[in-house]
Amino acid sequence: MGTFLGWSIKRPSNLTKLILTAAASVALMVADAHHNGEVRAVRGTILRADHPLQELAALPSSLVRDAQRDLRLNARLRRENARLRARARRLEVKASRLAALRLEVAHLTALLHGSSVPGYRAGLARILDVSSGPFSRRLTLNEGRNDRVFVGQAVVDVHGIVGQVVSVNRDTSKVMVVTDPDSGVPVVSERNGLRAIVFGTGSPDSLKIPYLTVTADIRTGDVFASSGLGGVYPPGYPVARVTSVTSNPNLAFLKIRAVPLARLAYHTHVLLLWPRKRPEPHGAGHG
Amino acid sequence: MDNPLTLKQRAIILASFVAAMILAIVPLPGSLQLLRPDWVALVLVYWCMAVPERIGIGSGWVVGLFLDVLYGSLLGEQALAKALLAYLTLRFTLRLRVFPRWQQALAVGTLVALSDLILIMIKSLVRGAPPLWSDTAPMIANVIVWPFLFAVLREVRRRAKIS
Repeated sequence: MGTFLGWSIKRPSNLTKLILTAAASVALMVADAHHNGEVRAVRGTILRADHPLQELAALPSSLVRDAQRDLRLNARLRRENARLRARARRLEVKASRLAALRLEVAHLTALLHGSSVPGYRAGLARILDVSSGPFSRRLTLNEGRNDRVFVGQAVVDVHGIVGQVVSVNRDTSKVMVVTDPDSGVPVVSERNGLRAIVFGTGSPDSLKIPYLTVTADIRTGDVFASSGLGGVYPPGYPVARVTSVTSNPNLAFLKIRAVPLARLAYHTHVLLLWPRKRPEPHGAGHG
Repeated sequence: MDNPLTLKQRAIILASFVAAMILAIVPLPGSLQLLRPDWVALVLVYWCMAVPERIGIGSGWVVGLFLDVLYGSLLGEQALAKALLAYLTLRFTLRLRVFPRWQQALAVGTLVALSDLILIMIKSLVRGAPPLWSDTAPMIANVIVWPFLFAVLREVRRRAKIS
Protein backbone atom coordinates (compact mmCIF):
# COMPACT_ATOMS: atom_id res chain seq x y z
CA MET A 1 0.00 0.00 0.00
CA GLY A 2 1.13 3.54 -0.65
CA THR A 3 -0.34 7.00 -0.61
CA PHE A 4 -0.94 9.25 -3.56
CA LEU A 5 -2.12 12.84 -2.96
CA GLY A 6 -3.52 11.84 0.41
CA TRP A 7 -5.47 8.86 -0.85
CA SER A 8 -4.42 5.46 0.19
CA ILE A 9 -3.95 3.49 -3.00
CA LYS A 10 -2.76 0.05 -3.95
CA ARG A 11 0.73 -0.18 -5.25
CA PRO A 12 0.42 -0.83 -9.00
CA SER A 13 1.06 -4.39 -9.99
CA ASN A 14 3.90 -5.32 -12.29
CA LEU A 15 1.48 -6.02 -15.09
CA THR A 16 -0.06 -2.57 -14.69
CA LYS A 17 3.38 -1.04 -14.83
CA LEU A 18 4.24 -3.03 -17.92
CA ILE A 19 1.06 -1.96 -19.66
CA LEU A 20 1.69 1.66 -18.71
CA THR A 21 5.30 1.65 -19.91
CA ALA A 22 4.37 -0.25 -23.05
CA ALA A 23 1.72 2.31 -23.84
CA ALA A 24 4.21 5.11 -23.20
CA SER A 25 6.75 3.37 -25.40
CA VAL A 26 4.34 2.93 -28.26
CA ALA A 27 3.23 6.53 -27.97
CA LEU A 28 6.86 7.66 -28.05
CA MET A 29 7.62 5.48 -31.03
CA VAL A 30 4.68 6.71 -33.02
CA ALA A 31 5.51 10.30 -32.19
CA ASP A 32 9.15 9.74 -33.01
CA ALA A 33 8.31 8.06 -36.29
CA HIS A 34 6.31 11.17 -37.17
CA HIS A 35 9.22 13.39 -36.20
CA ASN A 36 7.41 15.06 -33.36
CA GLY A 37 9.34 18.07 -32.13
CA GLU A 38 8.78 17.46 -28.45
CA VAL A 39 9.99 13.88 -28.70
CA ARG A 40 13.00 15.23 -30.50
CA ALA A 41 13.61 17.54 -27.56
CA VAL A 42 13.37 14.57 -25.19
CA ARG A 43 15.85 12.68 -27.33
CA GLY A 44 18.17 15.68 -27.30
CA THR A 45 18.02 15.90 -23.53
CA ILE A 46 18.81 12.24 -23.10
CA LEU A 47 21.55 12.52 -25.72
CA ARG A 48 23.21 15.20 -23.66
CA ALA A 49 23.29 12.80 -20.72
CA ASP A 50 24.52 10.01 -23.00
CA HIS A 51 27.26 12.04 -24.54
CA PRO A 52 29.90 11.26 -21.88
CA LEU A 53 29.13 7.57 -22.35
CA GLN A 54 29.74 7.83 -26.05
CA GLU A 55 32.96 9.68 -25.41
CA LEU A 56 34.08 7.00 -22.97
CA ALA A 57 33.18 4.25 -25.39
CA ALA A 58 35.06 5.93 -28.18
CA LEU A 59 38.08 6.56 -25.96
CA PRO A 60 40.03 3.29 -26.42
CA SER A 61 39.77 3.17 -30.16
CA SER A 62 40.46 6.84 -30.55
CA LEU A 63 43.47 6.51 -28.26
CA VAL A 64 44.83 3.71 -30.38
CA ARG A 65 44.13 5.68 -33.53
CA ASP A 66 45.80 8.77 -32.15
CA ALA A 67 48.80 6.78 -31.04
CA GLN A 68 49.10 5.19 -34.46
CA ARG A 69 48.80 8.57 -36.14
CA ASP A 70 51.34 10.11 -33.79
CA LEU A 71 53.82 7.33 -34.42
CA ARG A 72 53.41 7.61 -38.15
CA LEU A 73 53.61 11.36 -37.96
CA ASN A 74 56.70 11.16 -35.78
CA ALA A 75 58.49 8.91 -38.24
CA ARG A 76 57.51 11.14 -41.11
CA LEU A 77 58.60 14.25 -39.26
CA ARG A 78 61.93 12.68 -38.45
CA ARG A 79 62.52 11.82 -42.08
CA GLU A 80 61.45 15.22 -43.18
CA ASN A 81 63.62 16.86 -40.58
CA ALA A 82 66.68 14.96 -41.73
CA ARG A 83 65.95 15.80 -45.34
CA LEU A 84 65.43 19.47 -44.61
CA ARG A 85 68.57 19.63 -42.52
CA ALA A 86 70.63 18.18 -45.35
CA ARG A 87 69.02 20.58 -47.75
CA ALA A 88 69.65 23.54 -45.47
CA ARG A 89 73.30 22.58 -45.22
CA ARG A 90 73.61 22.33 -48.99
CA LEU A 91 71.92 25.67 -49.43
CA GLU A 92 74.10 27.31 -46.80
CA VAL A 93 77.21 26.16 -48.60
CA LYS A 94 75.76 27.46 -51.83
CA ALA A 95 74.78 30.74 -50.25
CA SER A 96 78.20 31.33 -48.77
CA ARG A 97 79.73 30.56 -52.16
CA LEU A 98 77.27 33.01 -53.60
CA ALA A 99 78.37 35.81 -51.32
CA ALA A 100 81.98 35.24 -52.25
CA LEU A 101 81.08 35.06 -55.92
CA ARG A 102 79.07 38.26 -55.77
CA LEU A 103 82.02 40.07 -54.24
CA GLU A 104 84.30 38.65 -56.88
CA VAL A 105 81.96 39.64 -59.68
CA ALA A 106 81.79 43.19 -58.37
CA HIS A 107 85.55 43.35 -58.20
CA LEU A 108 86.04 41.88 -61.65
CA THR A 109 83.51 44.24 -63.12
CA ALA A 110 85.34 47.16 -61.57
CA LEU A 111 88.65 45.82 -62.85
CA LEU A 112 87.35 45.50 -66.37
CA HIS A 113 85.79 48.94 -66.33
CA GLY A 114 89.04 50.39 -65.14
CA SER A 115 91.14 48.43 -67.55
CA SER A 116 90.87 50.75 -70.48
CA VAL A 117 94.33 52.24 -70.18
CA PRO A 118 95.34 53.98 -73.39
CA GLY A 119 98.18 52.16 -75.07
CA TYR A 120 97.83 49.12 -72.90
CA ARG A 121 95.92 45.88 -73.06
CA ALA A 122 94.74 44.55 -69.72
CA GLY A 123 94.34 40.92 -68.72
CA LEU A 124 93.07 39.39 -65.55
CA ALA A 125 95.28 37.28 -63.38
CA ARG A 126 94.40 35.41 -60.26
CA ILE A 127 96.54 35.66 -57.16
CA LEU A 128 97.69 32.15 -56.24
CA ASP A 129 99.80 32.99 -53.28
CA VAL A 130 100.92 35.90 -51.13
CA SER A 131 104.32 35.62 -49.57
CA SER A 132 105.31 38.25 -47.14
CA GLY A 133 108.44 38.38 -45.15
CA PRO A 134 110.07 41.38 -43.51
CA PHE A 135 112.20 41.98 -46.59
CA SER A 136 109.93 40.99 -49.40
CA ARG A 137 106.32 41.28 -50.42
CA ARG A 138 105.49 39.12 -53.37
CA LEU A 139 102.41 37.80 -55.10
CA THR A 140 102.22 34.69 -57.21
CA LEU A 141 99.91 34.98 -60.22
CA ASN A 142 98.41 32.20 -62.28
CA GLU A 143 99.73 33.63 -65.54
CA GLY A 144 103.18 32.80 -66.82
CA ARG A 145 105.37 32.65 -69.89
CA ASN A 146 102.71 30.73 -71.77
CA ASP A 147 100.41 33.70 -71.26
CA ARG A 148 103.07 36.09 -72.58
CA VAL A 149 103.80 37.54 -69.17
CA PHE A 150 107.21 39.21 -69.06
CA VAL A 151 109.53 40.48 -66.41
CA GLY A 152 109.00 44.15 -65.69
CA GLN A 153 105.35 44.03 -66.58
CA ALA A 154 103.14 46.40 -64.61
CA VAL A 155 100.42 45.00 -62.36
CA VAL A 156 97.53 47.22 -61.30
CA ASP A 157 94.11 46.96 -59.68
CA VAL A 158 91.10 49.24 -59.66
CA HIS A 159 92.61 51.69 -57.23
CA GLY A 160 96.17 51.92 -58.30
CA ILE A 161 99.47 50.26 -59.02
CA VAL A 162 100.13 46.93 -57.38
CA GLY A 163 103.64 46.21 -58.50
CA GLN A 164 105.68 44.67 -61.28
CA VAL A 165 106.51 41.21 -62.46
CA VAL A 166 109.95 40.13 -61.31
CA SER A 167 110.13 36.53 -62.43
CA VAL A 168 108.21 34.39 -64.84
CA ASN A 169 107.71 30.67 -64.85
CA ARG A 170 105.90 28.56 -67.39
CA ASP A 171 102.48 29.04 -65.89
CA THR A 172 102.99 31.38 -62.96
CA SER A 173 104.76 34.60 -62.27
CA LYS A 174 106.00 36.51 -59.25
CA VAL A 175 105.06 40.09 -58.63
CA MET A 176 107.00 42.46 -56.48
CA VAL A 177 104.46 44.61 -54.68
CA VAL A 178 105.07 48.34 -54.29
CA THR A 179 105.44 47.84 -50.54
CA ASP A 180 108.44 45.55 -51.10
CA PRO A 181 111.61 47.24 -49.82
CA ASP A 182 113.20 46.71 -53.25
CA SER A 183 110.39 48.43 -55.08
CA GLY A 184 110.64 51.92 -56.37
CA VAL A 185 108.00 53.65 -58.43
CA PRO A 186 108.65 56.94 -60.22
CA VAL A 187 105.75 59.20 -59.36
CA VAL A 188 104.52 62.69 -59.81
CA SER A 189 102.40 64.68 -57.41
CA GLU A 190 98.88 65.15 -58.70
CA ARG A 191 98.69 68.49 -56.94
CA ASN A 192 101.74 70.24 -58.26
CA GLY A 193 103.66 67.86 -60.48
CA LEU A 194 106.48 67.30 -58.00
CA ARG A 195 108.54 64.33 -59.10
CA ALA A 196 109.57 61.71 -56.60
CA ILE A 197 110.15 58.02 -56.16
CA VAL A 198 108.00 55.91 -53.87
CA PHE A 199 109.81 53.09 -52.10
CA GLY A 200 108.38 50.16 -50.20
CA THR A 201 109.20 49.64 -46.57
CA GLY A 202 108.33 45.97 -46.12
CA SER A 203 105.31 46.83 -44.04
CA PRO A 204 102.05 46.01 -45.84
CA ASP A 205 100.51 49.46 -45.63
CA SER A 206 103.39 51.82 -45.53
CA LEU A 207 105.51 53.48 -48.21
CA LYS A 208 108.22 56.06 -47.98
CA ILE A 209 109.23 58.93 -50.25
CA PRO A 210 112.85 59.77 -49.59
CA TYR A 211 115.22 62.25 -51.18
CA LEU A 212 112.93 65.23 -51.03
CA THR A 213 114.52 68.30 -49.60
CA VAL A 214 112.92 70.47 -46.99
CA THR A 215 112.07 72.97 -49.65
CA ALA A 216 109.83 70.53 -51.53
CA ASP A 217 106.19 71.47 -51.61
CA ILE A 218 104.57 68.40 -50.17
CA ARG A 219 101.81 67.98 -47.63
CA THR A 220 99.86 65.33 -45.92
CA GLY A 221 97.09 64.07 -48.23
CA ASP A 222 99.00 64.62 -51.45
CA VAL A 223 98.36 61.88 -53.98
CA PHE A 224 101.20 60.64 -56.10
CA ALA A 225 100.53 58.96 -59.42
CA SER A 226 102.94 57.07 -61.58
CA SER A 227 104.86 59.32 -63.91
CA GLY A 228 105.68 56.76 -66.58
CA LEU A 229 109.36 57.53 -66.24
CA GLY A 230 111.50 54.45 -66.44
CA GLY A 231 109.01 52.76 -68.72
CA VAL A 232 107.86 50.10 -66.33
CA TYR A 233 104.64 51.58 -65.05
CA PRO A 234 102.05 53.24 -67.19
CA PRO A 235 101.69 56.94 -66.41
CA GLY A 236 98.77 58.37 -64.47
CA TYR A 237 98.02 55.51 -62.11
CA PRO A 238 97.62 56.42 -58.43
CA VAL A 239 100.33 54.96 -56.26
CA ALA A 240 100.40 56.54 -52.83
CA ARG A 241 98.86 59.12 -50.59
CA VAL A 242 101.04 61.00 -48.13
CA THR A 243 100.16 60.41 -44.51
CA SER A 244 102.92 62.24 -42.70
CA VAL A 245 105.63 64.73 -43.50
CA THR A 246 108.28 65.14 -40.84
CA SER A 247 111.01 67.67 -41.16
CA ASN A 248 114.11 67.24 -39.06
CA PRO A 249 116.47 70.27 -39.23
CA ASN A 250 119.48 68.01 -38.70
CA LEU A 251 118.75 66.07 -41.85
CA ALA A 252 118.88 67.18 -45.42
CA PHE A 253 115.76 65.35 -46.48
CA LEU A 254 112.18 65.19 -45.31
CA LYS A 255 110.86 62.04 -43.74
CA ILE A 256 107.69 61.26 -45.66
CA ARG A 257 105.34 58.34 -45.07
CA ALA A 258 102.58 57.31 -47.43
CA VAL A 259 100.03 54.52 -47.88
CA PRO A 260 99.61 52.53 -51.06
CA LEU A 261 96.43 53.31 -52.92
CA ALA A 262 96.08 49.91 -54.56
CA ARG A 263 94.11 47.69 -52.22
CA LEU A 264 96.83 45.16 -51.80
CA ALA A 265 95.19 43.16 -49.05
CA TYR A 266 91.85 42.76 -50.84
CA HIS A 267 90.42 40.55 -53.53
CA THR A 268 91.93 37.76 -55.54
CA HIS A 269 92.37 39.22 -58.99
CA VAL A 270 94.68 41.84 -60.41
CA LEU A 271 95.24 43.21 -63.87
CA LEU A 272 98.34 42.59 -65.96
CA LEU A 273 99.09 45.34 -68.48
CA TRP A 274 100.53 44.63 -71.87
CA PRO A 275 101.81 47.61 -73.86
CA ARG A 276 100.27 47.72 -77.31
CA LYS A 277 103.61 48.51 -78.83
CA ARG A 278 106.76 46.52 -78.12
CA PRO A 279 107.61 46.50 -74.43
CA GLU A 280 110.36 48.80 -73.41
CA PRO A 281 113.72 47.11 -73.25
CA HIS A 282 113.57 47.24 -69.51
CA GLY A 283 114.52 43.98 -67.81
CA ALA A 284 114.40 40.80 -69.86
CA GLY A 285 111.62 41.52 -72.32
CA HIS A 286 108.86 39.06 -73.00
CA GLY A 287 109.15 35.36 -73.44
CA MET B 1 11.94 -6.46 2.61
CA ASP B 2 11.52 -2.73 2.24
CA ASN B 3 14.99 -1.59 3.18
CA PRO B 4 15.92 1.41 1.05
CA LEU B 5 19.23 1.46 -0.79
CA THR B 6 21.95 3.81 0.39
CA LEU B 7 23.29 6.41 -2.00
CA LYS B 8 26.46 4.41 -2.48
CA GLN B 9 24.51 1.28 -3.36
CA ARG B 10 22.41 3.18 -5.88
CA ALA B 11 25.59 4.60 -7.36
CA ILE B 12 27.03 1.12 -7.74
CA ILE B 13 23.95 -0.14 -9.54
CA LEU B 14 23.94 2.94 -11.75
CA ALA B 15 27.63 2.44 -12.47
CA SER B 16 26.99 -1.13 -13.57
CA PHE B 17 24.37 0.10 -16.02
CA VAL B 18 26.69 2.82 -17.30
CA ALA B 19 29.45 0.26 -17.80
CA ALA B 20 27.03 -2.01 -19.64
CA MET B 21 25.97 0.85 -21.91
CA ILE B 22 29.58 1.70 -22.70
CA LEU B 23 30.28 -1.94 -23.50
CA ALA B 24 27.19 -1.89 -25.68
CA ILE B 25 28.46 0.93 -27.88
CA VAL B 26 32.24 0.37 -27.85
CA PRO B 27 33.16 0.06 -31.50
CA LEU B 28 34.15 -3.46 -32.42
CA PRO B 29 35.39 -4.97 -35.66
CA GLY B 30 32.58 -6.33 -37.83
CA SER B 31 32.87 -10.01 -37.02
CA LEU B 32 33.05 -9.43 -33.25
CA GLN B 33 30.02 -7.19 -33.49
CA LEU B 34 27.82 -10.26 -33.97
CA LEU B 35 29.09 -11.81 -30.75
CA ARG B 36 28.48 -8.75 -28.63
CA PRO B 37 26.05 -9.73 -25.89
CA ASP B 38 23.24 -7.40 -24.90
CA TRP B 39 25.10 -6.23 -21.82
CA VAL B 40 22.43 -3.84 -20.63
CA ALA B 41 19.75 -6.52 -20.81
CA LEU B 42 21.86 -8.96 -18.82
CA VAL B 43 22.71 -6.38 -16.15
CA LEU B 44 19.04 -5.45 -15.95
CA VAL B 45 18.07 -9.10 -15.51
CA TYR B 46 20.63 -9.50 -12.77
CA TRP B 47 19.49 -6.51 -10.73
CA CYS B 48 15.85 -7.47 -11.22
CA MET B 49 16.67 -10.86 -9.77
CA ALA B 50 18.77 -9.45 -6.97
CA VAL B 51 16.67 -6.49 -5.80
CA PRO B 52 13.22 -6.92 -7.38
CA GLU B 53 11.70 -4.31 -5.05
CA ARG B 54 14.11 -1.63 -6.31
CA ILE B 55 14.92 -2.44 -9.90
CA GLY B 56 11.98 -3.29 -12.08
CA ILE B 57 9.86 -2.24 -15.00
CA GLY B 58 10.32 1.49 -14.49
CA SER B 59 14.10 1.21 -14.27
CA GLY B 60 14.12 -1.02 -17.34
CA TRP B 61 12.06 1.50 -19.25
CA VAL B 62 14.34 4.43 -18.38
CA VAL B 63 17.46 2.42 -19.19
CA GLY B 64 15.83 1.44 -22.47
CA LEU B 65 15.20 5.09 -23.32
CA PHE B 66 18.86 5.86 -22.81
CA LEU B 67 19.77 2.91 -25.01
CA ASP B 68 17.40 4.13 -27.68
CA VAL B 69 19.24 7.41 -27.85
CA LEU B 70 22.61 5.69 -27.80
CA TYR B 71 21.63 3.35 -30.62
CA GLY B 72 19.79 6.06 -32.47
CA SER B 73 16.79 3.77 -32.77
CA LEU B 74 13.18 4.79 -32.63
CA LEU B 75 12.62 6.38 -29.23
CA GLY B 76 10.71 3.81 -27.12
CA GLU B 77 11.85 0.71 -28.97
CA GLN B 78 14.45 -0.42 -26.49
CA ALA B 79 12.41 1.09 -23.68
CA LEU B 80 9.52 -1.24 -24.47
CA ALA B 81 11.79 -4.24 -24.84
CA LYS B 82 13.61 -3.55 -21.58
CA ALA B 83 10.37 -2.92 -19.70
CA LEU B 84 9.08 -6.22 -20.98
CA LEU B 85 12.32 -7.92 -20.02
CA ALA B 86 12.10 -6.52 -16.51
CA TYR B 87 8.51 -7.71 -16.26
CA LEU B 88 9.41 -11.19 -17.41
CA THR B 89 12.34 -11.38 -15.03
CA LEU B 90 10.29 -10.23 -12.09
CA ARG B 91 7.68 -12.82 -13.01
CA PHE B 92 10.18 -15.69 -13.01
CA THR B 93 12.70 -14.35 -10.54
CA LEU B 94 12.02 -16.91 -7.83
CA ARG B 95 12.41 -19.77 -10.27
CA LEU B 96 15.48 -18.22 -11.90
CA ARG B 97 17.23 -17.92 -8.57
CA VAL B 98 17.14 -21.62 -7.86
CA PHE B 99 18.13 -22.82 -11.31
CA PRO B 100 21.60 -24.32 -11.73
CA ARG B 101 23.94 -21.89 -13.43
CA TRP B 102 23.81 -23.16 -17.02
CA GLN B 103 20.12 -23.69 -16.92
CA GLN B 104 19.76 -20.21 -15.53
CA ALA B 105 21.85 -18.94 -18.43
CA LEU B 106 19.56 -20.62 -20.91
CA ALA B 107 16.49 -19.25 -19.16
CA VAL B 108 17.89 -15.71 -19.06
CA GLY B 109 18.90 -16.04 -22.69
CA THR B 110 15.36 -17.01 -23.53
CA LEU B 111 13.91 -14.05 -21.63
CA VAL B 112 16.24 -11.62 -23.39
CA ALA B 113 15.41 -13.28 -26.70
CA LEU B 114 11.72 -12.85 -25.98
CA SER B 115 12.17 -9.15 -25.34
CA ASP B 116 14.37 -8.91 -28.42
CA LEU B 117 11.54 -10.43 -30.39
CA ILE B 118 9.60 -7.24 -29.73
CA LEU B 119 12.50 -5.25 -31.14
CA ILE B 120 12.70 -7.39 -34.23
CA MET B 121 8.97 -7.02 -34.73
CA ILE B 122 9.09 -3.26 -34.38
CA LYS B 123 12.06 -3.05 -36.70
CA SER B 124 10.41 -5.07 -39.42
CA LEU B 125 7.22 -3.10 -38.91
CA VAL B 126 8.85 0.30 -39.17
CA ARG B 127 11.66 -0.29 -41.62
CA GLY B 128 10.45 -3.38 -43.40
CA ALA B 129 13.74 -5.04 -42.55
CA PRO B 130 13.47 -8.80 -42.14
CA PRO B 131 15.18 -10.36 -39.09
CA LEU B 132 18.82 -10.91 -39.74
CA TRP B 133 21.61 -13.01 -38.38
CA SER B 134 22.88 -9.82 -36.77
CA ASP B 135 19.70 -9.70 -34.69
CA THR B 136 19.84 -13.27 -33.50
CA ALA B 137 23.57 -13.87 -33.02
CA PRO B 138 23.79 -11.81 -29.80
CA MET B 139 21.21 -14.15 -28.23
CA ILE B 140 23.83 -16.91 -28.24
CA ALA B 141 26.42 -14.58 -26.82
CA ASN B 142 24.02 -13.70 -24.01
CA VAL B 143 23.81 -17.31 -22.88
CA ILE B 144 27.59 -17.75 -22.97
CA VAL B 145 28.35 -14.54 -21.11
CA TRP B 146 25.66 -14.82 -18.43
CA PRO B 147 27.44 -17.14 -15.92
CA PHE B 148 30.52 -14.93 -15.85
CA LEU B 149 28.55 -11.73 -15.62
CA PHE B 150 26.47 -13.28 -12.86
CA ALA B 151 29.59 -14.18 -10.88
CA VAL B 152 31.05 -10.70 -11.28
CA LEU B 153 27.85 -8.86 -10.36
CA ARG B 154 27.23 -11.15 -7.41
CA GLU B 155 30.65 -10.31 -6.14
CA VAL B 156 29.91 -6.62 -6.59
CA ARG B 157 26.56 -7.02 -4.82
CA ARG B 158 28.11 -8.83 -1.87
CA ARG B 159 30.88 -6.29 -1.47
CA ALA B 160 28.31 -3.45 -1.54
CA LYS B 161 25.98 -5.42 0.74
CA ILE B 162 23.04 -4.88 -1.60
CA SER B 163 20.31 -7.33 -0.76
